[in-house]
Amino acid sequence: MKIFVVGAGQVGATIVQALHDEHDLTVIDVDPTRLEPLAYRFDVSTVEGNGASKNVLAEAGITSTDLLIACTSRDESNIVSAMISKALSPRTTTVVRTTNPEYLEVWHEGKLDVDFIVSSELETANAISRAIAVPAARHTDLFADGQVQLVEFDITEQAATALLHTPLRHARLPNDSKVASIIRGDDTILPGGNDEIRPGDRIVVIGSPNAAQEWGRLVAPGTGKVEDVVIFGAGRSGTAVARALLDQGIGVRIIEASRENARMVSDDLSGARVYHATGLDADFLERERIGDAQVAIFAMRDDMKNHFAASLAKVHGVGFTIAILHETPSAEVFERAGVDITINPRQVTAEEIVRFAHDPRTQQVAMLEGDRFEVLDITTRPGSEYVGLAFKDMPIRGALIGAIVRNGEAIFPHSGDILRAGDRAIIFTESSRVPEVERAL
Amino acid sequence: MSTAARLRRVERRKRLAVDVRGALNVVGTLTKYLSLATVLPAGVAIGYGETPWPFLTAGAIAGAVGWGLERGTRGDVQIGAREGFLVVALVWIFAAGIAALPYVLAGEAQLDNPVDAYFEGMSGFTTTGGTVLTDNEALSRSLLMWRQLTQWLGGIGIIVLALAVLPRLRVGGRQLLESELPGPEIETLNTRIRDTARRIWVLYVGLTVALAGLLWLYAATGVDDEMNGYDAVAHALTTIPTGGFSTRFRSIEEFGAATQWTLVVFMILAGVNFALLYRAIVRRHGRAVARDEELRVYVAVLAVGALVLGAQLLAEDIAGGEAAVRHAVFQSVSVMTTTGFSSTDYAVWPPLALMTLVGLMFMGASAGSTSGSVKIVRHLLLGKLLRRELDQTVHPEIVLPVRLNRKVVDERTLRAVTAFILLYIGLFIVGASLLALDAARTGLDLSVLEAIAASASMLGNVGPALGFAGPFGSYEPFSDVSTVIMTALMWLGRLEIIPIVVLFTRHYWRNV
Repeated sequence: MKIFVVGAGQVGATIVQALHDEHDLTVIDVDPTRLEPLAYRFDVSTVEGNGASKNVLAEAGITSTDLLIACTSRDESNIVSAMISKALSPRTTTVVRTTNPEYLEVWHEGKLDVDFIVSSELETANAISRAIAVPAARHTDLFADGQVQLVEFDITEQAATALLHTPLRHARLPNDSKVASIIRGDDTILPGGNDEIRPGDRIVVIGSPNAAQEWGRLVAPGTGKVEDVVIFGAGRSGTAVARALLDQGIGVRIIEASRENARMVSDDLSGARVYHATGLDADFLERERIGDAQVAIFAMRDDMKNHFAASLAKVHGVGFTIAILHETPSAEVFERAGVDITINPRQVTAEEIVRFAHDPRTQQVAMLEGDRFEVLDITTRPGSEYVGLAFKDMPIRGALIGAIVRNGEAIFPHSGDILRAGDRAIIFTESSRVPEVERAL
Repeated sequence: MSTAARLRRVERRKRLAVDVRGALNVVGTLTKYLSLATVLPAGVAIGYGETPWPFLTAGAIAGAVGWGLERGTRGDVQIGAREGFLVVALVWIFAAGIAALPYVLAGEAQLDNPVDAYFEGMSGFTTTGGTVLTDNEALSRSLLMWRQLTQWLGGIGIIVLALAVLPRLRVGGRQLLESELPGPEIETLNTRIRDTARRIWVLYVGLTVALAGLLWLYAATGVDDEMNGYDAVAHALTTIPTGGFSTRFRSIEEFGAATQWTLVVFMILAGVNFALLYRAIVRRHGRAVARDEELRVYVAVLAVGALVLGAQLLAEDIAGGEAAVRHAVFQSVSVMTTTGFSSTDYAVWPPLALMTLVGLMFMGASAGSTSGSVKIVRHLLLGKLLRRELDQTVHPEIVLPVRLNRKVVDERTLRAVTAFILLYIGLFIVGASLLALDAARTGLDLSVLEAIAASASMLGNVGPALGFAGPFGSYEPFSDVSTVIMTALMWLGRLEIIPIVVLFTRHYWRNV
């Protein structure tokens, strides 16, 4: 596929890294110092110029391009770039990155001539609210409009005894779920009924969101439902996270240092309790019993402040901390400081955008363990050799169908169930087998 | 440039920062048009074979004064925000005068004292409904109808009428409407202030016609033997503006239960924000309207008031069965919407019931309705403000916007609400004290609760108070000084105090 990537910042670079192997990429940016390193590292062509300019797009050959990804840091520039591309070349699919949720709304209303919009803030918020729903998980992902959830757990000695050292066929596992793989050291097991889970394993589970939460309780007994979250920083990310959590009925406190922003966010979110204070004030943290919060999320604009506030919150007794990153290297610093989860909005956004470059039948793709495994969401062709076969008889190797979506309903199939044409299959597979799986279905 | 030329550049300081001439010009115009209203009772007089001259003479005098004022202040008129306050305050003084003129000119014995006549006129235009008459059935039919009509004209506001009719007031119209329409903020139904005024006006007329038609139907079908065409129109004219003047001495007691229940419904409707009512009736957004916070609290307070009164009536065995329910509902609705009709002599009710009624006088109905008093939305906002204050005592850093119907209320409006309520209570106390003092001076037998009720009733534009000024009583025993005080209270209450009080501040009149 021929793809234009407009913007060679962190998001653009991550996208290039993920797609350069399989696709024919052209990267456009006004800043040659950003283009150079990409051109050295990857086999991509670069164009120095404004991606929102008609001449630049036309000269770079927009009419022969299948996909345009506009992912500069400026929303308006991205939208203009996509709209001009659409005008020059109607067959080109356009994907726009935005940081302003308002554009997402306008797009949902169908008033923006762009094929897809990916909002960094919304993706970040979703990633955080997924993490909070199953706090024991290392990583989670949602498929099929949130009906199917993939969760990755690290198993420790604390896990429920019902789970450990028991062959899976005998273990009492949550309904509507399936262990997709057990990673033990360098080995990966696509488990059968005789395999068992041991401490030190990392497991991948596919199931309904309820089952995912039950798994969370099995893996880490004693973790309760999250009801009290503190968010430091009421910028766009912080606000989006707060909104996502409030929608789930979780109590949210927001701490914002700027009076104006505090005012704005308290106007916007009627359910949240907003404080005009810095998260760096120990007296304030003590007075408001911030330490009692179950989860603290650090969404200030400055990694260093987040770092300090996170350490302080830990000192005050917050058990579970999540930080939103601005610079990639900060991840290690945060982990050293004991922050439980770090989320890089640019990484999340890039992953979301990369999904558009896959087989058109593939609706969603997630990557696990770097990119060792992928989760595909594929609609079964009528001509597929697997249609009409029971799941236990399928000769797929190195892949597992975790769930299927039939007529909009998620089904977690048992071995006797039969695959039909038109079913959407949520498939866990090794990355190297993706083309094979796509062909087979 | 010569020194002289340079010096001339500094003009003489303007002494007044308010365009008094322009304001008077508008007042003149409004008075001129308002004088036309006297044609209606003149027509009634002719219809009943009574003399139309008091009305025609009053109209001629008012018209001449208005015309003269307008002519005398001709010129470049710019009505801005500041002039609006002056216009509104003056127009209501003139309007009460127009209302009083026919009373004096007709040579009616009960109203021959000009102070009393002016009180009756102010009580009419401010839709208060308190009276100095001791036998209103002795008045001529045309004079009685004029009394009803003044309430109808005053209810929706002279300026709303003027805005709908006079295109020249479009400039600065919002300011005029805001200082006259009850409530902290106006909700516009249209981007053009004139269209909003016109829609409110249409709704007002529609409701009046509907009620008059219904009451007339009761008369025609014999549902209510006491009702007749004249009374149907007369009471419709004072129900929709939550006025409370009646043609009968014993107010609504003389009519049947059907009439009383019908009036209850229409009083409740008249106490709803007209913008909401318009959306519910004309645009059929019933559900959205039913979610309105003020409307809900309004209905809840009415229900509680009626429950307390009903329980008292039943417990003390004052009334039984349907009558107890009816009187409890009627009286709480009548007092809370500041109408002031009476279905029974509640002056004989036990103390707790009287306290409840005096308490309801401070409630008022919705903002943007024709009712007086503090109004529910202000109580609601004050309550939310207090709750926030308590929260902030424990959590000093918390940022809490006050919301009404999910929308954030800006801090300036909240300050205005607090200021209004403080001024309201202050004026009420001053009023009650002055009435008590004056009663002591003249040897009038006025109890503390009666003084309180009279002040609350006047300031809240309710009408009847307690004691001799109770439901079937009269304000006639008060001295002239007390009558003037009460007239001023009605005027302040109708215009919601602040537009008038600003006139007494130095920086209203001067820039430096």
